[in-house]
Amino acid sequence: MTNYPSKLKRFFDGYNMVVFTLIILFLYIPILILIIYSFNDAKIIAGWKGFTFKYYRLLWENQNLKNAFWNSMTVATISTIVSTGLGLLTALGLENKYFKAQKFFQGIIFLPLVMPDILMGVSIAMLFSFLRFPMGKWSVIIAHITFCVSYTIIIIQSRLKGFDNSLQEAAMDLGANRSQFFWKVKFPIILPGILAAGLLAFTLSLDDFIITFFSTGRGFNTLPVYVESAIRRGSVTTINALSTIMIMLTLFITFISKPIRKFIF
Amino acid sequence: MERYTDNELVKIKRENKSSWILTTPFLIWITIFFLIPYLIVIFYSILTPGVYDIKFVFSLESWRSAFTQSYMDSMAHSFIMSALTTIITILIGFPVAYVIAKAPKKRQNLYLILIIIPFWTNFIIRIFSWKIFLSSQGILNNLLIHFGFINEPLTLLRTNFAVLLVMVYVYLPYMILPIYSVLDKFNYRLLEASMDLGANEIKSFFKVTLPLSMEGIFAGSILVFIPALGTYIIPQLVGHQSSAFIGQLITFKVKSIPRNWPLASALSFILLILVAIILLTGYNYHKSRSRSNL
Repeated sequence: MTNYPSKLKRFFDGYNMVVFTLIILFLYIPILILIIYSFNDAKIIAGWKGFTFKYYRLLWENQNLKNAFWNSMTVATISTIVSTGLGLLTALGLENKYFKAQKFFQGIIFLPLVMPDILMGVSIAMLFSFLRFPMGKWSVIIAHITFCVSYTIIIIQSRLKGFDNSLQEAAMDLGANRSQFFWKVKFPIILPGILAAGLLAFTLSLDDFIITFFSTGRGFNTLPVYVESAIRRGSVTTINALSTIMIMLTLFITFISKPIRKFIF
Repeated sequence: MERYTDNELVKIKRENKSSWILTTPFLIWITIFFLIPYLIVIFYSILTPGVYDIKFVFSLESWRSAFTQSYMDSMAHSFIMSALTTIITILIGFPVAYVIAKAPKKRQNLYLILIIIPFWTNFIIRIFSWKIFLSSQGILNNLLIHFGFINEPLTLLRTNFAVLLVMVYVYLPYMILPIYSVLDKFNYRLLEASMDLGANEIKSFFKVTLPLSMEGIFAGSILVFIPALGTYIIPQLVGHQSSAFIGQLITFKVKSIPRNWPLASALSFILLILVAIILLTGYNYHKSRSRSNL
């Protein structure tokens, strides 16, 4: 049998490659549209009416939008720090293979990952109403920490899995105590995992709409909530410009964040 | 049973104690903000709607209305659309994952980055972009008219087609990545073996490659189907009002006046049960597979 690859195989490889190329194009269509339309001088969504920068200027002058942006940043920063901290502690606690509650914890960690966002949103909104907790910045932050923490645990856990435990004996032999070992040896080694977890939490928080929508009150908008209400009101012209800036920002973060690239890809 | 020396037992006890200390903050957090809220959902479902949220008066009215035709229709609609999304993402996600997994290692990373980058753009914004693309004066209609395929703009937006298209778009990476991770570990020698034994490519694909990648397809299906079942924003932005998803109805009952929190709770609880059934089925399947692989 020397006729490999056969015609059939070549046909399949060709077919797969065509599907692959089309799908990549499909994934990028919306992004290209937004970038092109952000420079389109038309009031509504319509054909091409000429090049303009005016939406970027309007964007800059929009105070509500700037507020929403800073709200998003505050929420994302605080929820990233708390959820990564909680995630690190939990992942360290679960390293112990004799720990009897291991399975129980894996289940609890898994649940928020697979729960539809809408159920998390509804249930946490009802909790806040039940407790008469004011809906606003802090309720949003609490909700974000809740849905981020499972992701941070899993990412840090997978970094810890690769940790070489003989390093502990080596460090102890060289006279380090437990806290010296942790801060001087272990922490630097797992730091890329912690950063990756933090970055993921940050992007999840920035991206979330539905849970924020349920856990926020009057007057506190994050960027996605602002964008959604702008789309609903029909004031969509600046959204393209905003999206373009956000896409550029995402690309920028993706390419400068080496730990994420090493870790997730 | 393993046997430990006294020294080891002391050490294990100490480590277990520190494990509890380290994991307790998470446990408390998730209990208060994730588990207890579902108990409140159940509790609220048997109360009376108030003007803003709830009146603490017992009533089963919400459960009666949750099982009326219109809500059951919406539940069925969500279910069918999510199932279709899952099937389509399998059909187009599999070839994509296959191409990535078979590429040289360096190219694999590039492909994966290409798949993930659009994912990192805010998803409301990506859905909004589809709205621009599909609208009657949008790019697609203009192109089709320009090249003479059609004379009048087609109604693409606010149709089930638009919802399905955008759902596939949004959830596709969740299907590609798990299938890829299975195919990446796949031993291609098995294919050579099956062909040496006389199977052609089609036969070896269905008898070897597909069964061995079932695990990835299954994981991907859960990652696609469950969030699709609860989606709100996609049908809200590109779908038609007459065919609402259950997520939309729940959101209206929570957010817009007249509010009906007990009904929203009852519907949420039904959705939760559905999700639980799907997850348990998935878990049993996973268990039976990992046993048969041993």
